[in-house]
Formats: sequence, structure tokens, C-alpha cells
Amino acid sequence: MSEAKNREEVIQSLNEVVAEMHDRMLKGTPPTMTLPVRAKTNIEFNQRLGVYKYGKKQTIRDASSLGSARQLLRALHVIEFIEEMIDSEKSSTLREMYYISEGWGLGKFENQNGSNNLAEDLEIVTKCMREDFKLRPEEDGARMIGNVTIEERNRRGEWMTINCRDDVGDSGYGLPYNVEPEKIRLIDEDVDYIMAIETGGMFDRLVENGFDEDSRCALIHLKGQPARSTRRMIKRMSEAWNKPVMVFADCDPWSFRIFASIAYGAIKTAHISEYLATTGAEYLGITADDIEAYDLPSDKLTPKDIEALKAELSDPRFSTGAWQDQINMMLENGKKAEQQSLAKYGLDYVTDEYLPQKLAEFGLGG
Amino acid sequence: MARRATSTMKQASISEFFEKNKHFLGYDSVQRSIITAVKEAIDNSLDACEEHRILPTISIELRRIPNKSDRILMIAQDNGPGIPAKSIEKVFGSLLFGSRFHTIRQTRGQQGIGITGVVMYSQLTTGKTTHVVSKIAKDATALKMDIGLDTKKNAAIVSNRERIHGFVDHNGLPVEHGLRIEAPMKAKFQRGKKSVGQYLRMTAIVNPHATIRFHAYNEDNELIDSFVSERVTDRLPRPVREIKPHPHGIEIGSLNRLLRDSSERNMRGFLRHTFSGIPMRAMKEILQRSDIDQKIAPGEVSPEASQQILTSFSEVRLMPPPTDCLSPIEDLLIKKGLEKGVDSAFVSTLTRAPSVANGNPFQVEVGLIYGNADVSAEGPIEVLRFANRVPLMYQQGGCLLTKGIESVSWKGYGLDHPGGKGLPKGAATILVHLASTNVQFTSEAKEAVAENEVVMTEIRKALQEIGRHLKNHKKKSAQKAKTKEKFELVNEILPAIATKASNLLGRSEPDLGPIITKIMNAVFCEDEVVWDKEAKVHRCEIKIHNYSARPRAYSILAQYPEKEGVEIIENDLGGKREVRGIWCWKLDTISPNEEGVIRFALKGLAHNEWNSTEVFFRGAGDIIGASKIDEEILIEIQKEEERALEVVKEQASMIAEDAMESDQDNSGDLDQRELEDAMEGVLGDAIPQKLPEEVMDTHDLDNSGTLDQNEVETAILESTEPKEWKFDQYEESGE
Repeated sequence: MSEAKNREEVIQSLNEVVAEMHDRMLKGTPPTMTLPVRAKTNIEFNQRLGVYKYGKKQTIRDASSLGSARQLLRALHVIEFIEEMIDSEKSSTLREMYYISEGWGLGKFENQNGSNNLAEDLEIVTKCMREDFKLRPEEDGARMIGNVTIEERNRRGEWMTINCRDDVGDSGYGLPYNVEPEKIRLIDEDVDYIMAIETGGMFDRLVENGFDEDSRCALIHLKGQPARSTRRMIKRMSEAWNKPVMVFADCDPWSFRIFASIAYGAIKTAHISEYLATTGAEYLGITADDIEAYDLPSDKLTPKDIEALKAELSDPRFSTGAWQDQINMMLENGKKAEQQSLAKYGLDYVTDEYLPQKLAEFGLGG
Repeated sequence: MARRATSTMKQASISEFFEKNKHFLGYDSVQRSIITAVKEAIDNSLDACEEHRILPTISIELRRIPNKSDRILMIAQDNGPGIPAKSIEKVFGSLLFGSRFHTIRQTRGQQGIGITGVVMYSQLTTGKTTHVVSKIAKDATALKMDIGLDTKKNAAIVSNRERIHGFVDHNGLPVEHGLRIEAPMKAKFQRGKKSVGQYLRMTAIVNPHATIRFHAYNEDNELIDSFVSERVTDRLPRPVREIKPHPHGIEIGSLNRLLRDSSERNMRGFLRHTFSGIPMRAMKEILQRSDIDQKIAPGEVSPEASQQILTSFSEVRLMPPPTDCLSPIEDLLIKKGLEKGVDSAFVSTLTRAPSVANGNPFQVEVGLIYGNADVSAEGPIEVLRFANRVPLMYQQGGCLLTKGIESVSWKGYGLDHPGGKGLPKGAATILVHLASTNVQFTSEAKEAVAENEVVMTEIRKALQEIGRHLKNHKKKSAQKAKTKEKFELVNEILPAIATKASNLLGRSEPDLGPIITKIMNAVFCEDEVVWDKEAKVHRCEIKIHNYSARPRAYSILAQYPEKEGVEIIENDLGGKREVRGIWCWKLDTISPNEEGVIRFALKGLAHNEWNSTEVFFRGAGDIIGASKIDEEILIEIQKEEERALEVVKEQASMIAEDAMESDQDNSGDLDQRELEDAMEGVLGDAIPQKLPEEVMDTHDLDNSGTLDQNEVETAILESTEPKEWKFDQYEESGE
């Protein structure tokens, strides 16, 4: 998909959605909106792109029920709103749109999740990006520290050069929500690989210990489930500079999903997986074996964890033997562990012992 | 000598009697004693007001006495008739004063030993006297005094007796007539299910004609609990009549005693005048079967013969006992009582027709609050039990009224009822009131009603019927919500989609008719009953929307409370009465996307007496919100109506035949004097609240100055009110 579309193309795609509704009504049948099923049952591996994409299952949102009819009406309001923004060359955040919808009467949203989901629905059916719709996420991107140099176009329209090790403080370089070439240019690097870290605590530990320099890597803090811009930035750097990506996360079902969204594509955004996912990203740890091998302090799996692990067993993204083994081992042992449990052996253990050993398995860090 | 001994023994035993029996007199614990004392005071007030036809306003105050543990001053004041000076000592000073143990009618005070018990308990636990202020209307001043008891002589000891001015009510206004009692006693105040507050709340529900005020204060004179329940009706309970015993309730011992003590000259008179429900024909048959001469004196009947009489009682066709000796609260008033202080919950109440168990007339009334915020949704429902308007607070588990509730399969009616055992669960309250001339309790404590199959059956039937009301209510609310959704969809959302889509594309708006038909693909019924305050009528509107693709033709039937004095008005569509309680209209064919509307109003019902209708239809295809009429049920109702009429006719002819016994000159007609004589007997029960002259005036059709048997029969039939008829009792039960 989708290099940035021009405004006529965007409006054209949106109008096609409206036309589906209108055409149905002209035929005397309830209006509909057709979109792919957004569930793990409808994601398939795309050989050509090397990522998971939505399959062929479609769902038809039919105005025969009150809930669906409301969704159609909301979609029309959102489309109208986007077209107005495109016309007036404005943009708004998803949150702003949610508040604006207060004035939409019957078409107003009940919560922000509803408006976010609908924006995604429209991306999927129109094959546009939400940037095309002039809609910004509320979430900010992640932090990055390491010897890479980029140019960012600031709000005055000037390009400024930033080295993400020398020109930033301890909190690193903050990624903007838009990391496309019109906003960020990749200039130079002197690293061997990129390491994505789940928790802020571990990111700060590695920064304090100077791991980016010792191990010649760029550290990126994921902040839990990574934002689109974070995943996009990882993908751009990995592709442009041909660097491997290592994911360092907790050992629990949610961390596995974080990894999958980076390496294979997320279920919610499978329509743009080829744009966000970094094929070849590797799960560095903490693995289920690590808990045993390093004798890490662990917590018992909660019923919710167990439910999530079982769901992952039937998720096509985890269908490989290695993942099935990991998940089954976790279910068997009934344990999970945090990244920071490594502190059991001292503050430097993670940078002196654990990571070098793990990286060596992938031929890195040496 | 012997006489004096007996009387001394009796006197000595009074306080002993109290001590020994305080568990069933209601004074066995400090918590219960205060409830009993309040109950005696309030029963006294309600009974006195009822007898004197005064709308009662009763105020109860509890004040914790400072510096004494477990001491409370109970103050009860009413606007009753007051007590004449010469009776005060008797009323407060002697146990078992009054005659209520000897009559057969529904009375309130059947427990405890009355207000004297309060004086006694106060004196025994505090050593203090009870302070009384009484004013009767004809005296200018009130009389005040302190009363104690001489337990040896079973008499009052009066002190500080004086006439006073300035007897005022809670508003500070002078009291025209009324009574105030202040009694200190050992007692403990508490809240909750077994408390004075709850007792008074329950009392207020079953005495909708009374205003009850309650205030409780702690040691520091701070208000700690209170409520004021205003009367919801100005109608006093109807005065109850005493009735003679019915043969079906008689045991051999009492029959023999009645025979022995009778002052009747012969057996004919004995049977006719001692009992209710024995018409002339039955009297003759009983004596014939028992081989007893009509003319022998009751005292001469042998024990064998009296046994024979008892057997014949159950074999001969008798009249049921008259039931106007009962005073039901009536469903509408229970409803008003229950609705007080409950927001937007569902309330249903029901008064069954009077029935007879073992010769005792009785009547069951029930009520249900569903969605009562004061009751926990997790625990069992709240049970409110009453016998003859008296709240029952203790021994809930062993009571027939509770067992009646437990025996119904509430699950089928939409209440959680785990295992179908015990009480159902949920935020609901169920009320059961048993009114009877003879409530049988399990023990002397009179807190639990004893088992009785006939009463149980009535309770079950009543509860099943309100259960069906609940089920219908739930079904209807669910359907209403669904219909509302669909209407919102086609009337609001869909037009908005069409407008917006057309505007965005710059195209013309599509015709929504066929789309609506496709989405709804059904016929919907919406019905509503509203009270028109101005016109004092209930207006009913029934709308049939055809959202299907083809034209529809229906007959619509609607349920309404048909009874005497209720009239259908403003019924432009006409239609006809189908059966009792069901009206039927034929609607013109309704085209797709059109609607048919029926409007009518009912005159003669009180506000709240009708809240919703049931809609049925005849015709092809379903209607959402209405049910297809079951023709078999209609036929069944018609038959039932005919059967009821036959029973009434048969009874009328028996009574008329009986009345002709008063035709002493054998003229075949009753003249004025003979009619008066007849009205003193069975005929009086059949034509209540009418004077013989009125009967003669209205029913002497040929102006002969006399009534023949046919005219008497017509008079009886016309005063027999057909029982109010309810449709849903024919619908299948929820079980």
C-alpha cells in the first residue's frame, strides 16, 4: 500500500464507502459497509511481503440492527469530518475527533475506543492511512538512544540534524507521531543492531550502564504495546541500514504479542503490516527457558495470563514449533518473569552477563 | 367459702400468669417487649377509631430514659374517641377486659392481653405507673391520671387524677378527642427486620386509612429513627358483621355444648337460628337423615343423634357462610401502601374472592414489589406477613403464609429460585395477608399461621396470579425495549444515514419505504394506558404498525377491567364486547408502512386502577407486542361465565324458596311485614345494605304491594355482583 495519496484520491476512496451505502438504498435494501474480519481467525501469512495480513473473510455491517446502523451513521459523520479537514487543510487528534463527535447527535460515539476503531475501519476499507485522513494519534512515539543521526523537519519547516547519542539527554530522542520521509530523514549510523526494550526501567538501566556504546546498538523504548510510529521507525531503520532487530521484553503472554506486532504485524493493523512489521526481528528474551536457566524470581500465571497463552496457541503468528514450545513450557511451569528480575544478581548483571550471552546466540555483541 | 377461694386464686394468679406466659404474651425479651407494647397501643387505637368511624392519626414516640440502662419511655397518642372517665380504670387496670374472644368476626386484637399488659409490664420492670391522658368529644377538658395495678385484686390503682386544659396533638393544636399513654419500661431499641420501625411500616401498609408517625430519640434527646406515613385513602375499612357459626366448622364438642345451652324451643329453630348457611330445605333434610323430630327440644337430643347431625352437615347441600364479615384491605389500597417510598419499581397486588375453610370464611390478599432497592439482590426476598391486618414478625419459617410463597415455582415467573426450594432470591418483596373469622395459629404465641390445605391453595393461586403479572411485565418490558430500538432505527438513524450519504455524494435521497419494510419485516403493536387527570378517565391507545411488505387485516382484542360502574367511552371505532373483560375491534386493512390506531377511554375507575392492557389479535401473521387470541380460552371464559351465572341462579332460588317460609299466611306472596321477617334471615345476607321498603319498591313489578317468589329471586340476582373477572387467570401458568 500506500505512499501518501493526494487529496482527490482520498476523497474518492471515502466516497466509495458512502456510495456502497447509497447504492444499496437505491435498490431498496438496507445500507451496508463491507470490511475484513479483524480477528486472529482472519490473518494469513503473506509470502510475498513476509508479514501477516488480513485474509479474505469479510464482514458486512448491515443497518438492519440498531448497533450496526449507528456505526454506519457514525462512519458518515467521520467521513464528512475528514473531508472538511482536507478542504480546510487542518488536522486533529483522534481524541479531538471523539470530543467533536459530541455534537453529532445520533452519530456520536460512546467512548474513544469506538472512534479509534472506526478510524481504523475506514483506513482498511479505503486503503488510506490515517495520516491521509489528517487524524493524529494521541499517543507519542517512543524514546531512542544510540549512535544514529537523523534529520527532523521541525514545526517551522526547517530540517534539523540530530545525533541520537550526542545531541540528546538521558531520556533520549522522542519519536514524533509521523516518522515518514517528509518528516524524518535517516542520515547516518554507526551501530551493529537495534534493540527494542519493553519497559522504561530496563531502558534506563541499559542507558545508565552505557550499553548502547559498549554493545554498538540503538536502544528503543517500546512503552508497552508499541505505537505505530515506533514500529514504523524500527522498520525504516532496519530496512534502510540493513540492521538486525532484537526485542528484549518480559516473559509473559503480553510481551509475546508485543514481539509479534513488531515481527509479524498486529491483528488490529494487519491492513498495513507490510508497512509496520520488521520481518526478521528476533525475540531475545526473556524466554521461558531463561527463567529456569538463570533461576529468575518469578510470579504465578494469573487465570487471565493462562487464557491469553491458550489463545496464542491457536494464533497463526505463533504457529511455529519454537513458539509453541515456549508457550507450552510456560503453561506447564505456570511461571512468568519480568525483565528486571535479573537485578537479583546485581545492577550490572544484565549488561555484563545476560545480554552478551543471549546476543552471542545471534552472533551479535561480540 | 368455696367461692371466695376460687376468686382469691384467680386474683393471685394474674401477675403470676403474666410472668409464666410472657413468652406468648410477647414480653419475653427486651427487644420484643417494646414491639409488643407499641403493638398493643396501636391496635387499641386502630380498633377504637374503626368502631367510631374516625380516620386514625397515631403518633408513637420512643425516648431513651437517661442514666438507666435499657429503659425506654413509650408515648402513644391517637385522635380516637378517648375513653369515658368511668371506663378508664377498667380498660387499663384489668386483664381480659372486653368481649372480643366471644364473637365470630374478623378482629385485629387477637394476640396478647391488650393495653393492660403494657401497664403490667411497665410496673413489673420499672416499678412505675403509666401516665394516661384521655379526652372525649363531649367533655370540655381532658382527664389525666397515673395508673398502676393491684395484681392481687386485678384492679387499677389510680393516682394524681385531675382535669386539665391544653391537651394538644403533634402540631400543638388542641385535641378534640384522643388518648395519650406514657409508659416507661425495660426495653431495647433496635432497627432492622424485627423492630418497632418495621412493625409500624408494616402496620401502615395494611391500614392505608391511617396516618402513622414514628419518632425515636436517644439518651441525648437526638432523633435516631423516624418516619411519617400519611394515609392514602379516606375510606375506613368497612364495618364487619358478626356471623353465626357455619356447620362445616363445628366439632362434636361444640355442637353438644350448643345443643345443651340452646334457648330454642325445638330443633327446627335450633338449626335455623344457631347456624349460618342452613336453608329450610337443608334443615329438613338434616333432621330427616338424623331421624330427629323437628319439634323436640335441643336439650333432648341424644349424643348418638348429635353425632348423626354432624355427619349430615357434611352430606347435605348447604349455603356457604356469608363473607361480608371479612374486611379485606383491597388490592388497590395495598398497592398504594406498597408504592409509598418505592421508586419506579413494579408493584402488583391482588385480592382473591372470599372462600371458606372448615366453615370459616377467609380471604387472601397478596402483593409483590419487584426491583425494590431496599432489599438486597443477592439474598432472599423480603416477606411481609399479616393476619387480619396485624403484622407477623416472628417464626417466619414455620408459617403457612411463608410456605405458600415457597411452594410456588418462582423461576417460571422470572425470580431466581435456586432448586425451587425455600424463598426465591432477589430485590423483591412479597406480601401475604390472611383475613379470616378464625385464623388458626401454630401456637399460643400467634406468630405463625397453621397448616390448612384450603387456605394454602388460595395463597398459591393468588401468588401464581401476581407471578403471571410479573412475568407479563418482564416480557412486555423486554419486547417494548426491542420495539423501541427498531423504531429508533427506522425512524431516526436510517433517515439520517440517507440524508448524510446523499449530501456527501450530491445525489438525491432514496425512498426509504422498501428498506424499512425489509429491516422490520413485521407488524408491531404499541399500547399505552394513561390517566387523564382532568377528565378523570383512563385513555388507552393501541397502534398497529404494518412494517411488512404486504397489506394486513386484523381484528384486535384488548383486555380491560370490566366491572360494575366501569364504562367504555370515546370509542370511535365501535367494536363489540367479546367476552367479559375483552373488547374486540375490526381494523381496516393496513397497507405496508401504514398504521391502524384504536383509541378508547374508560370511565369509572380510580387513578392507578388500570395501568396497562393486554392486546390480542385474530388474523394471519404475527404481531410483535400482541398475542394471537386463543379461541379455546375465549370459549372457556364464556362457559365459566355461564357456570358462574348458574351457581348464582341456583343459590338465588334456594334463598328465595327459603324466604317464602316467611309467608305465614300462605298467600304465595310476601307482604311488607313478611318481607321484613325474611330479610332478618338468609335473605338479608343475600341483599345486604338495603331496607325491605327499598326492595319492595324496586322489585314489586306488578305493583301488587307484595313480592312473589320470582320477584324475590330477581331481587337477589340483581344484588349479586358478578365477581370481577381477570383474563390472565386463564393463561397458562408459568410453572
